[in-house]
Amino acid sequence: MIESIILWCLAILTAPFFAAVIIKVKAFFGGRTGSPLLINYYTLIKLFKKGSVYSTSTTAVFKLGPIISFACAITVLMFLPIAGHNSIFSFNGDVIFILYLMGLGRFFTIAAAMDTASPFEGMGAAREAYFPIICEAAMFMILIFFYRLTGQLQLSAYFSGDNTIALWNLGGAPLLFIVISFFIILLTENSRVPVDDPATHLELTMIHEVMVLDHSGPDFGLIELGSFCKLFFYSALVSRLILPFDFKISAIGFLIFIIGLIIVYVAIGVTESVIARYRMDKVPQFVLTSFALAFFATIITLEFIK
Amino acid sequence: MSQFFISILIILSGGFLSLVLARQVKLMKIITVFLLSTGCFLGLMDAVIKIMQPSSAGASFKYLNVFSLTFQIDGLSAFFLVVIFAVSLLSAIYSFHYMDHEGKAMRTAVNYFFFSILIASMALVVTAANMITFMLSWEIMSLSSFFLVIYKHNSAESRRAGYLYFVFSHVGAMFIFAAFGIVYGYTGSFGFENMNALSETAKILVFIFSFIGFGSKAGVFPFHVWLPHAHPAAPSHISAVMSGVMIKTGIYGIVRIYSLLDFHTPLFGNIVLVAGVVSGILGIVYALGQQDLKRLLAYSSVENIGIILIGLGIGMIGVSSQNPLMAVLGFTGGFLHVLNHSIFKSLLFMGAGMVLHKTGKRSIDALGGLLKNMKITGTAFIIGSLAISGLPPFNGFVGEFFIYIGGFKGVALDKSAFVMSILAIVSLAVIGGLALACFTKVIGIAFQGEPRTKAAVNVDEKGPAMLISMSILAGACIFIGIFPRIFIYMSIKAVSALNLGYARVPLEPFEQMAGNITLAATIFLITVLVVFAIRWFFYRGKTITSSGTWGCGFTQPTVKMQYTGSSYASFLLDFFRPAAPLDEDHPKVTGRFPLNTYYKSCVNDIAELNMKGVIVNPVLFLFDKLRWIQHGDIHLYIGYILLAIILLLFFI
Repeated sequence: MIESIILWCLAILTAPFFAAVIIKVKAFFGGRTGSPLLINYYTLIKLFKKGSVYSTSTTAVFKLGPIISFACAITVLMFLPIAGHNSIFSFNGDVIFILYLMGLGRFFTIAAAMDTASPFEGMGAAREAYFPIICEAAMFMILIFFYRLTGQLQLSAYFSGDNTIALWNLGGAPLLFIVISFFIILLTENSRVPVDDPATHLELTMIHEVMVLDHSGPDFGLIELGSFCKLFFYSALVSRLILPFDFKISAIGFLIFIIGLIIVYVAIGVTESVIARYRMDKVPQFVLTSFALAFFATIITLEFIK
Repeated sequence: MSQFFISILIILSGGFLSLVLARQVKLMKIITVFLLSTGCFLGLMDAVIKIMQPSSAGASFKYLNVFSLTFQIDGLSAFFLVVIFAVSLLSAIYSFHYMDHEGKAMRTAVNYFFFSILIASMALVVTAANMITFMLSWEIMSLSSFFLVIYKHNSAESRRAGYLYFVFSHVGAMFIFAAFGIVYGYTGSFGFENMNALSETAKILVFIFSFIGFGSKAGVFPFHVWLPHAHPAAPSHISAVMSGVMIKTGIYGIVRIYSLLDFHTPLFGNIVLVAGVVSGILGIVYALGQQDLKRLLAYSSVENIGIILIGLGIGMIGVSSQNPLMAVLGFTGGFLHVLNHSIFKSLLFMGAGMVLHKTGKRSIDALGGLLKNMKITGTAFIIGSLAISGLPPFNGFVGEFFIYIGGFKGVALDKSAFVMSILAIVSLAVIGGLALACFTKVIGIAFQGEPRTKAAVNVDEKGPAMLISMSILAGACIFIGIFPRIFIYMSIKAVSALNLGYARVPLEPFEQMAGNITLAATIFLITVLVVFAIRWFFYRGKTITSSGTWGCGFTQPTVKMQYTGSSYASFLLDFFRPAAPLDEDHPKVTGRFPLNTYYKSCVNDIAELNMKGVIVNPVLFLFDKLRWIQHGDIHLYIGYILLAIILLLFFI
């Protein structure tokens, strides 16, 4: 239990570091040195030192937005088996709770954006409400796949200890589909490039970034940290899936987990560097791919298990 | 049983006195609301006791030996009675200040009169124990609610809504009559007891007929067409009762017939589940396309009926594939959602009523920024929206959680049960996402941002009775979301009354699930408090200033530039274009200095769109051809009667 809590704290603390890996990779592709790996910490410290400016159009919901979305992000991490260790909490059906908790975070992000009366943020909010619906369907399809294999409905049954290896043994090749599907969901849920481009200067083309335009100071810091945590959550899942090996020595286990994480973050960086953002109306098709992959994987297992 | 009848009598006497005292409006309202709420409260207590200590209570009245009225309260009836009395109680209290504005005393009195009849008849419907009693109560319920819908009888729109509702409820009743007729043909008695003696084909036919009949009351797609017309036409506390409770009597009917038929074919489960999926997805898609707040809520009722049916469908599939755990999970989830939906939907309708009362605007695109001055209404509405989107730690999540777990149990099965479970799970996920989009739209456009029209500027909220009802309901949403144990217990009691052959449902696995939900909700709430503390820590002694919203460099923003509800939804609706065709109307913009222009859009409901071509026109055509029978000559009419009797004598 104490071990799990320490891991949970470490996850929140290191999440900004891993996110900086993406920036580094993009800088490498752009032929630049790029900002230091600790850049996200500098930004966070800067934000937490500042005060805030609130729009006169906003209400208490606007202030509640960052709190709830950050609380959701770190609560979700409590249910994540980090590096194969047991999670702090785990119960039958916790995956459903996690997915809906992320929905709650999204609800408040959208509500906070709509609170500003800004047309740009409304536009971002409409997109934020749209794409995750398909992601959610895909996530549940993946859950069906996992349930079909293990008969369990909790994250620890898939990702802790040697359960992930067992998953590969049971599922085999179709699990590759799931990895890709997860990666697409990761890109969408965390508003990365081909779905969203946080780096553009035009507010019109952004989704997540445009929704938080009016937040400032510690509020914005909470939002940033929350989104790093969310990215960490998805990356940890993919990392466990691609390197599922379970060594009894925990140091090696950690090392493998971190290597897996870095592979995922580098992959995100590479994707961002080589692919341009899709036109908005193409995005649903891209996201639907993840659903289709998970669906096919499930259909294939139907035969395997018989 | 006597306490039940006493409460019904008190409710009816409240309605009767409202007519007597119509001239003294103030006194009439005090007495009527007092009697209505006392009656509901007594009935509620009685029903709760009946659930907790399950005992079948019954009563029978015979009038001249012609037909007997039989009533019975078992776990299932008691569960629905709880829902009926709880929501009616709060709606009655709410109405005390809601019916303030209208200067027409007689109309208010008549409204209360029919309101009391509606409550009483709903309670009688779920306790009726034979066909005659059931149909009698059912018809009284349909008619009294019809009179409530045409409250504003001088508006053509209301009359049309009432007419549509009248037609739908009677065509529905006709199907129920047909189903009962088949049963009577087999058993020769009006009792419900011997229904399992029917042949298999007859059972299937009875189930399908009653599903259509009850489905048209519940608002199952495509029989939901009356709902989005009738709900906005009625006063808001009536919409709350109709949408929160009355449509659930349709669900009650479906479950009751299922339990009485005692026939566990996968077909029933599949029908119910597919109907649930279609209603769920299309209901929320149409809700997303609405601009009228109450219409939107009515469509969202269609969606929630869909979720309930998905739960029941999973339960039925569980029964037919001999998976008791899945069956109990599905039914319990469905019943929990019945309870939860009645709470948050009546809350949302009451909130919409407050908005309508104060601004006079029904279109959300005319509102905006209401949260600033309507703190309690706005907060309650946000809580209701979170609950209806099925998000934890609110009550909507609890029912959906059970349905999900039940659905996952079905994933382990094979063939059709597997396919149906996948369908159920994925569509629940999609419905959840769409509901989130729909209700962030309502909140974002109506309650947040800046007022879009003058009507929405500086709107206050008054009427303690209205605010209290909403606060209680909002509190219930949170309470059930965090401590669902007792409500899960109640739903399981209702499930054990279903006569599924599970002698006793073991409570442990469900207690554990309730415990898990409580645990998860508590963890989350503690985390929120901690984050609150962190935020407070970082804001100590900081300068906080306010300024206009960042307009991306644009310095002259107007409120008209805000995102509208239609634009918020249009992106999503594009995805569902074939099922939700969009009508747009705007003139071409011409010239260098274009003059005033407009843009109108409206999302069409395919059921309503096709109803005219597929049903109304052929029926009209047929009856037009038969018009010669109606010639107005009384002699011939008597002749018809004689002829009919003679023919009947020959053939029967």
